[in-house]
This record gives sequence, structure tokens and C-alpha cells, in this order.
Amino acid sequence: MNAPAEHHRNPRNERIGQPVRRKEDLRLITGKGRFSDDVNWPNQAYAVFLRSPHAHARIGAIDTRAALAIPGVLAVLTCKELLADGLKPVPHVPDAANPHEPNLVSPPGFKEMIAPHHVLAVDNVRYVGEAVAIVIANSVNLAKDGAEAVEVDYEVLPSVSATPAAAQPGAPKLWDSPDSNISIDAEVGDKAATEAAFARAKHIAKFETQVNRVTGVPMEPRAAVAQYDTATRRYTLHAGSGGAVRLKQDLAKILDVPANDVRVLMDDIGGNFGTRGMIYPEFGAVTWAARRVGRPVKWTCERSEAFLSDYQARDLFCTAELALDAEGNFLAMRGSNLSNVGSVPSNYGQLKKGVEIMTSLYRVPCAHFRARGVVSNTMLTRPYRSSGRPEVMYIMERLIDIAAFDFGFDRQALRRRNLLQSHELPYTNAFGMVYDSGDYHDAMEKAFALGNWAGFPARRAEAKARGKLRGIGTANYVDTATGVPRERAEITVHDDGRVDVVLGIVSNGQGHETSFAQLINEWFDVPIEKVRLIVGDTDIVQVGGGTHSGRGLRLGSIVMFNASNQIIEKGKRIAARLMECDPSVVRFFRGRFSAQGTDQTRTLTEVAAAAQRLPDLPEDLRGPLTAFSDETIHIPSFPYGCHVVEVEIDPALGTLEIVKYTAIDDVGLAVNPMIVHGQVHGAIAQGVGQALWENVHYDAASGQLLSGSFMDYAMPRADQLPSFTAEFTEIPCTTHPLGIRPGGEGGTTPALGVMINAVVDALSEFGVKHVEMPATPERIWRAIREAKNSPKRPATA
Amino acid sequence: MFDFTYHRPATLANASTQLANAEHKPLAGGMSLIPSLKFRLNRHAALVDLGAIAELRGIRREGDTLVVGATTPHAEVAGSTLVRQALPALSVLAEGIGDPLVRNRGTIGGSIAHADPAADYPSAVLGLNATVVTQQRSIAAEDFFKGVFETALQPGEIITAVRFPCGPLTQRAGYAKYRQPASRFALVGVFVVQTAAGVRVAVTGAAPSVFRFTAAEAALNKRFDPSALEGVTLDANGLNSDIHASAVYRAHAVVEMAKRAVAAALGQGGSN
Amino acid sequence: MPTVSMTVNGKAVSGTVEGRTLLVQFLREHLGLTGTHVGCDTSQCGCCTIHLNGKGVKSCAVLALSCEGANIVTIEGLATADKLHPMQEAFREHHGLQCGFCTPGMIMSAVEMVRAKGHDLDEKTIRKQLEGNICRCTGYHNIVRAVQAGAAAMKGA
Repeated sequence: MNAPAEHHRNPRNERIGQPVRRKEDLRLITGKGRFSDDVNWPNQAYAVFLRSPHAHARIGAIDTRAALAIPGVLAVLTCKELLADGLKPVPHVPDAANPHEPNLVSPPGFKEMIAPHHVLAVDNVRYVGEAVAIVIANSVNLAKDGAEAVEVDYEVLPSVSATPAAAQPGAPKLWDSPDSNISIDAEVGDKAATEAAFARAKHIAKFETQVNRVTGVPMEPRAAVAQYDTATRRYTLHAGSGGAVRLKQDLAKILDVPANDVRVLMDDIGGNFGTRGMIYPEFGAVTWAARRVGRPVKWTCERSEAFLSDYQARDLFCTAELALDAEGNFLAMRGSNLSNVGSVPSNYGQLKKGVEIMTSLYRVPCAHFRARGVVSNTMLTRPYRSSGRPEVMYIMERLIDIAAFDFGFDRQALRRRNLLQSHELPYTNAFGMVYDSGDYHDAMEKAFALGNWAGFPARRAEAKARGKLRGIGTANYVDTATGVPRERAEITVHDDGRVDVVLGIVSNGQGHETSFAQLINEWFDVPIEKVRLIVGDTDIVQVGGGTHSGRGLRLGSIVMFNASNQIIEKGKRIAARLMECDPSVVRFFRGRFSAQGTDQTRTLTEVAAAAQRLPDLPEDLRGPLTAFSDETIHIPSFPYGCHVVEVEIDPALGTLEIVKYTAIDDVGLAVNPMIVHGQVHGAIAQGVGQALWENVHYDAASGQLLSGSFMDYAMPRADQLPSFTAEFTEIPCTTHPLGIRPGGEGGTTPALGVMINAVVDALSEFGVKHVEMPATPERIWRAIREAKNSPKRPATA
Repeated sequence: MFDFTYHRPATLANASTQLANAEHKPLAGGMSLIPSLKFRLNRHAALVDLGAIAELRGIRREGDTLVVGATTPHAEVAGSTLVRQALPALSVLAEGIGDPLVRNRGTIGGSIAHADPAADYPSAVLGLNATVVTQQRSIAAEDFFKGVFETALQPGEIITAVRFPCGPLTQRAGYAKYRQPASRFALVGVFVVQTAAGVRVAVTGAAPSVFRFTAAEAALNKRFDPSALEGVTLDANGLNSDIHASAVYRAHAVVEMAKRAVAAALGQGGSN
Repeated sequence: MPTVSMTVNGKAVSGTVEGRTLLVQFLREHLGLTGTHVGCDTSQCGCCTIHLNGKGVKSCAVLALSCEGANIVTIEGLATADKLHPMQEAFREHHGLQCGFCTPGMIMSAVEMVRAKGHDLDEKTIRKQLEGNICRCTGYHNIVRAVQAGAAAMKGA
């Protein structure tokens, strides 16, 4: 990475750090956004997917004759056509190696499972909702008529969907694997040292939990329209996702054509949260179908279909133990994580990015965890906002509260004792992850103060007088952001003052058109209105990893920074020509080149115009004034923080109200604090949603999805959430040239743990030690009832 | 959605004629019917939209009866001064149905004809011992609700109004609703009425159909106070059990919500 | 096929539709007014909220033919040629949107809220009245502030 250039040395950014109102809003608030389903192409036909009603079945004969006999039905494509046309499976990369992370490696002799994820089921269906056929017709309704007329012979097979159950010996097997459904079986950490530390521990806190399965639920359902040009033999797909370039590459692999035979377009994207970020089988099927029928084909996912077919997430079964000495110092941690990956192992990000930071921000000298994946008769799970980390932060923060509960420690004191001090940073955790910088105690104490922890006993007493149970909880967190390492920015300054930035990162609502433009505004003094991000057309954008893992602004700013430096260096040489001086005396500040020792200046626009106009510039300076930076950056970033939440429970029904939610998050440098706060709010809501309401519920016996619409999947609504007290700290990230840490995931990361810690605290007078997620009123009510029926000693305060 | 012919008669007589065909289906606010049609579970040759029939809409008081026209939207019931004076609990109930946008469109007649086991209105109809009026007859509340999505309505029969006893006949009433967190329908809804003839407690959401909670009625007949329900239980057998709540929890919640409905009836700031 | 005529955003429009054509389909597919969105199939999410004869409704649960002669306002009809509606302005000022997909419905619902509940809205009322609109991005925090400010600003508008 380049050292900061002089124009960045100004310690007081003026435009970076401002709560600039968003550029993109004007079109979005007036109904002029352009979302996937808003795009229609002339003469388009419509696709509907026929989906499996069974969790596990062998596909026999598929009779499409009746469907094809319906006037207006153009085609019914099944695995037969798919195999005949040589379509390849969705190119998942379950485990992308990163030198800065521990690798998940199974022991010798264990064959890690690789299974094909075809765009239409081949041979067997393995979850309810798996696509079996795509029906193309002149209208959606005709395509539905066609889908209902397709007859599929299913031989129903035994199925398994629940997490520990799928891993049991003897569970119905999904694939031709030698022993079981276990797809990966790795160990991380130092087993011998950990066992030794446990052997000398005074206390061992134990915790077993099933982290519930949820899904991202972007408000915009997926939609796609595709066409095939017979003249150029190119496919074009318009579909919102996390990034155009990856979609193009993956689509080309499915279609088995060179990448440049595929063009992907996208405009406004109505949410991503990870689950919408990658290729979906339907995108491949629709694009293929467009060639088969010789017309553009459009598919719009309906919400109930989305619950069946959108990627799902979390679903981790964990047993964990924390060893402490008599004073409460953490000695070691051990356990086992089992990630339910769905029907096909497609991404171990959740497993890996969780287990590598199991010890969170605490001083835990050694640790050892087993990390396993298991396939089951469910939709695939993949990364969802802060993939893997909310689960393990929840586990660690629960373990600390359980240790306090079981052994009589104070919850705050235990955290204060074990939380890493600033002087210990950079710190290598027990799994080899290197935390760069921060002031963890400062964040925690700020959260305690802002959440008025000290005044809690009085509030609890006041609530009790009203018949309510009040609880307070806290959770520290660290987030590890990596993601696809390569990103590219190409910046062009036009002679009319406009600046174009080509990036492989799309906005899914994060406001890139504003915050990325603020960087250019800071560096070049070009008004935000004149900065254009070009991200959604792979004929222009050639490289880029998309939007996930807190990588958008983090990596985007680095390549933009580097490219802007090159622009300035080129500009200096051109300005020197214009000012007839040596390039070494040219300085650049706030959009203006000046020749030191003279009163001569030239604006960036004048220099850009000169680059276009001057006929005799050296070749590398001849216009337009442009530069690119293409970097591969593996080094992770570690946002952190502390949340405090206070709840009130009505013991009669177990119903809960979130009274106060306080969040302190460190984002290193907030480019646009208004946007960062918005990210934090939304992220908290998603974490709270998982802790209290949301649940992807597959019936254990049948594998049927029982949470298949908004009637049964409980989305957080306005009347269930409080206003948030959210502040951030800005300790610059030392591994990022601008000091930026990601800000999009931090809100979710501690939210599971802090909610359950507060719920359990509210029930402490009954001796309740834990409530599983989602902590529904019935679960809370039952916990109270069971505790009353089997009195244990009351918790220490 | 399967296609259908659309009719929008201006008179009840024309609507009756059009609905004489068993394959035709009446459409009121459409808040339940249209979503269900989207899932292609039902097929109707024609929908007969009752929205243009003026005589089916509106609220009036006839002595000790509050008459609510079948196509009166929930928002109109919730906002009606007449309702607030005659049966404030009915106004509270209407204000809690669905969401504000649904309440602008959904109707009382549509709600009770649909007979969703988790709908709010059935509890008021049964609790207040209302009469469902059709173009052919009057049906007592006790005889109207038959089961899950099942009523006493015959094919072609159109609800024209619901007649709620009010005035001295219904001394006090209260409604308490426990929302299912996703759908916002009633996980449990309890409508409690104290009448000259005794207390009636009607429960929705908890069972396949709205029902009277007789043990609670007996207790409240002795003393109309939430505390009278201490120790009263409801058998969980036969109650709904789903991913949102078990039958056992529902049975418990019915008693609890009944207490809150009584408190509301007593003006003690019951929960809704 | 039957035809339907109505006024949409002040303009008389008509079209040939099927019995099953939903109002939201008529707006999006026949009139090209794609600001009204479809976010679910159970009338829960509120992305399709429009004003029908002055009142907020979910256009995914209304038949186009039921709107014969009706007056419809969509998100595209809220601003005048040169001026945003105060509620739109408030959503921008208070960062009441992120991805923007639920936003048209949120804004139409917020304007309906002012019609039903007045200009002086407290947080509890706003949260309760937003029961029929789901947002996944904002956690509602800034939406609540936007609605409160927009409602107050509408008083003077």
C-alpha cells in the first residue's frame, strides 16, 4: 500500500466526516428508483419455477406434455434439458483461503464433501422448494398454469433438517458420502495447551445452544431478466446482487462459456445483507432459458417463494466451555461448532469467521475448537450480515454471564478483568487472528455510562413495583472483516469537472453514491454532485468483489485513494507544463495545483482539459486524465464495540419490551456519520430480530418450511423496537491507510448476546440461567414456570 | 391467481342474482380473499364486488341496537362516534385489526364471512351476542361460526349487516388482543361483555373457531373483576398449536387476556 | 377484456385489464408507474401503499376493476414539478431510507398517518401506525424521526 500522499496529510478532513445528505435519495423518494423488477425488455417471456414439495425425494419421470399443450406456454425445462445442454453447477467456493485466517482443514482420511448445486434438481430433490423445472410462457399466469400441469414422479426418501440430528450417525444421508452428513471436520487452536489449562482451572462455565436459523429478507424480492443475442452469442442478465463482476463470472461458469460472453447489469438494489449477495441458481436458469426460447425471459420471485429459495443463515449448534481461575481470569476456551450448511456445502464463511474469533476481545491465552459442517434437507445457508460472528459473540458473552451466575462473579467486573487493554494491541488471539488497534475498555465504559448501568437497581425496583421484571445486559464484540480480497477503481477526471469512478462494488442501500463521492470531494474538491459511480455494468466494470464482509468502503477507499494519488501525480506533471515549472515544485491541495514560489495555480479541471487538449504530452499523460488501482488486500479489519440493553418483561405472559438500547461502535473513521448511524440502527434491528422473533422453521418430521411468508416469519416492526442510543468512537484502524473500519455489521454482531443476557438478567430472581433464541414470550414464560417449579439458588446480583 | 369475471352490482338485488351461481364469490374489502386467491388455492368463475352497494355500508343506531353495515371498513367503525358511545370496546377492537392500511379497506362483513380462526371480529360478534343479517334471514352469533373458515352462510347468501345489542343490555365490554408477532392476527383475543343476562366471554385465535369461555363467565358472574379469574383455567386440549405458540401457552394466555379484557371493560386501562 | 378508467396522479387514465389484474399491476405494468413496489404476497409489507380516494391502502390487495372512477395518488404524484412533498423532504433530511425499496410505501403511509392522526405525532403513535409497513434496512429509528418532522412540516405546507 502506498504511503499517504501529501494531500491526505491534512489531519482535519473537512468533507470526510460530514453527515452529507444522500445523493441517491432524490430518485428513491420520488418513485424513480430502478429496481430489478422495474426492468422490462421488449417481447419478454415470463418464467415460473416448479419447486419440490418434498424435503427429500428421488425424481422419477417428469411429464411435461400437458404443460406444453397449454397455448402460450413456450418451454418447460428440466434436468433432462439441463444435462443435454451441459449446464454446470453453481460454482460455489466453500472455503476461500486467506493467509491471515486459520484454515479449516479436515484430518487426513476425512474426505471433505463436495456436492453439485445444479440450477435445476438432478436425480434427487434435497429440500422443500428446490427448483425442479422452469416454465416459460407468455405471461406469469400462463407459466403458473404450465407449472401446475407438469407431472413429477417423486419417490419420497427419509429426510433430516434439524442441526444436531443431521449429524447423528444413522441420519438419512443426502449424498453418497462414506459415513455421514458431516461435510467438513476441522480443528483450530492448541488442543494440548487448552486441555492443560482446563486441568488447572478453578471454574469451568459450560454452555450448549442452538443458534436459530434466519434469513436476510431484503425488502426487494429477487428478480431477473435475461436475453441472448444470437448474432454476438452473448448473454445479458439484469439482476440485483452484491456485485456485478462476480455474478458475471459465476454465470459464465454455469453456462460454460467464456466470461466475456456474459454481461451483467444492475441498478438499484433493495437490500442485500449477504443472503442476496451471490449468484442464485434461478439467475442461471433464466439466462439459459432466454437462449432456449429465443426471447428475453423475466422472472420475479414472490415473497413466499423467497422464503423457500433465498439463502438462509446462522443455524449453528455449539457446545462451549470457558475455564477461569479463582480470581476470574480467563484461562482457556474449548468447544465444538456445528454449522448446518443446508443441502449443499456452499460457504464455510459462517463457520470459519465465527470460530476464529470465539475468544472475542478477551485475553484468553489458549483455545481449541472443533468446527464442523453438516448437510441437511434444508435450503443452503450462506453469509448473512456479520456472517458467523454474531453467533460466537453470543456464545462468549453468554459464557461470561453464565460464569458470573454459576460462580458468583460480577458481570461487569469479569469483563473489566479480562478485556484486552490498549497496550496489549496488536494482539494475536488464540486462533492466530491479529487485532490491530482500539480502546476496548473505553468503548465498554462509555456503553456502561451511556446505558446508565449504575442507575439500574433503582429502575429495576421501580419496574418491580409495577409488576414488571427488568433486566440489563451487555456484550462486547469484535468483528473480523475480510471478503473477496481483490478490488479495482478507475478514476477519470473529465474536462468539464465531472469525475467518474468505476468500481466493482454496488450499493445495496449503504449510500455509496454519497460516501464514496465524499472521498473524491475531500481529495479533489469536486462537488459530490459531479462524482459519478459506475458499478452496475460488467462491460465497463471488469474487476471487483462486490459488497459484503464490510469490504465496500474499506477496500473501495484504498483503491480509490491509490488511483487518486496517481491522478494527482500525473496532474502535477501536466500542471508543470502549463505553469512552465519543474514538476517537483508543484503542490496539490483542495483541487488546485500550485507552483511553489510563484502565484501560479491551475485547477484540476484545467489540468484535465489540458490532458485532452495538449498534443505533445508524453503518452502516459495524454488525456483523458485517468488512473486505476487494482489491489489484492487480504488483511482483515476488526471493528469492535460494546452494547448495553435494558428490557422489561411481563411475567404473566413472558412478553418483552426493549426499554433502552445503547450502542458504542468503533468504525475507525466515519466518512459519513449519518450513514454509519443508519447502518448501526438497521444492523441492531436484524440482530434483535434474530434474538427475539425471527426463525426459519422447518418441521422436524417432514422437512416442510412452516415459516413461509410474512404471516409466519416474524419481521421486526416499528412498534417492537425502541429508538437507539448509538454513538461511535473513532480509533483509526492501523492496517488501513485512511483508518477506516467497516460500519455495517457491528450493530448485529453483539445484538444476539446482549439481548439474551438482558432477558436472562430480568429472570435472574427465579434462577433462570438461559433462554434459547428466539426468546419468544412462550419460552420466557416457560423458563419462569420451570424455574419456579424447581427452585435453584438465586443468582448473585 | 386464476382469472375470473368481475361484477360490481349497484344493488343488493343484482348482487343476489349474480351470486345465485355457486361458482361466484362475493368480494368485500378483499383483504383476506385477494391474498388467498394469489396462492391459487381457490378458483371462482366470477367475483361479485359488493363495494358499490350503498345500502350495505354505514353505521346507525336503532334503539338498543347498533347496526353496522356489512361493507363498513374497520377504520370507519374505529372512528365512529356512534360506535364509541354505544360500544367503545367494539371501537377498540376495530382499531386493532390488521394495520391502518388494511383497516381502510377491510370490512366487518368480509371478516366474519371469511371466519379466519384468528380474526378479531368473531369474538365481538359472539361476545356481544350479535345477529348476523343476510338478505335472506337473521342468524344468531351462536349459530353463525361453524369452524375453520366455516360459517352458517349458504351459497349465494350475502351478509348485509351485523346487529349488536347495546345500551342497557350491554353494561360493559372490553377486548384484549395478543398479537401473533408475524401476521398481527390474534394469537389470542378475548372479548368480555357484562350484560343484564350475565357475562359472556368470547375467545378468538385460540381454537379452530371462536368459542365461549364458560368457566370464565361463571367466575365473572360472581364478581366482575380481573381477580375473579385467578385460578380459572382453560383446557389446552383442542386449542391451536403452531410455531408461534403451543396449546398450553394459548390456554394460559386466554385467561390472562380475559383478565385484561375485564380490566378494559372496567376502564382500568386494559392492554390491547 | 374489460376496461377500467380512473384518475392517477391527477391524470385520467384507462386500460384493458383482466378481472384478476391488481391495482398495483395496473400501476406498474400498464401505466409504468414503477415507484409502487411489491414486497410480499400476503399484504403485510406495505411497499405497495398508495392513496385511493384519499385514503392509504395496499394496492396489492385491490383489484384494478374495483377502482373504476377512483382517484389514485402514487409516490410519483406526491411532489409537484419543482417541489418535494414535505414528507419526502423529511425522509431525505432524516436519512429515513437506505435501499429505498420500502420507501415509497413508507412515505405514502406516513402521509396517510397525518390524515388520520394529525400533524402532532408522538413516537409511540408513529410506531404503532407503521404496523403495516416493514423496513429491513433502517431499524425504523430514522423513519420515526422523518415521519415526525414531515408531519409537522405538512402543517405549514
